[in-house]
Amino acid sequence: MTENPFAEEPKPTSAWLWQVFTGVGLVILLGLHFIANHFVAKGGLRDFTEVVAYLRDPLILCLEVLFLLCVTTHALLGVRAIFLDFGPSELAERRLDQVLKVVGVLTVAYGLGVTWMVIR
Amino acid sequence: MHDYRKVSRASRWLDVRRRKLGMWAYALNRITGIALVVYLYLHLVVLSLLLRGPGAWDSFVALARSPFYLTLDVILLAGILIHGLNGLRIALTGFGIGVGAQKALFTILMIVSAIALWVAALKIFRI
Repeated sequence: MTENPFAEEPKPTSAWLWQVFTGVGLVILLGLHFIANHFVAKGGLRDFTEVVAYLRDPLILCLEVLFLLCVTTHALLGVRAIFLDFGPSELAERRLDQVLKVVGVLTVAYGLGVTWMVIR
Repeated sequence: MHDYRKVSRASRWLDVRRRKLGMWAYALNRITGIALVVYLYLHLVVLSLLLRGPGAWDSFVALARSPFYLTLDVILLAGILIHGLNGLRIALTGFGIGVGAQKALFTILMIVSAIALWVAALKIFRI
């Protein structure tokens, strides 16, 4: 790592590009999520009935699922970048990638499962 | 010694004393990123209350409207704004846009974050 990160441009690896694309997506989706759930909702949060009605809207459901995919990908790629700061071996990096993929799939499956059980 | 160097290299971004603005930007991005990952998983755990029905969720909602939780919301929003806007700067400079002006860009974006946070905090506490 250099003393001044401003002096070093990030290398455009596919992981970095995914981090950027999901990050840009998050600026929009997280903005919508935060505004819809905390500023538009009466009292700052939706009660149970309102949450169910909100998630049953097909457009909202698509946006929330896209948000879940983007935030999970972005978060785990960020965790990966931090681990890479420790300079792991190639084997450790491969293992890390495998673990993060499993964590990512489980996270998305959990989110989708909770959503499905709420709206069914 | 080798392992110590790796740990030392990675932990340097936690120590921003006597560092330039770029190191502050880098450290802020890492620290807010870790905090937001922790929050993401806490948030997912809290959402499981929905599976316990209206009683469990509505009790949590009542609790979340307390000043303590609203303060946590403001702290969360600060992390999101700093990480999000600083991240946009990193993305732009990564594509070669505004590389020469990135210190100014960082300063401007952090001022924008502070203003947005102030407006949002007023809105959050008025709800």
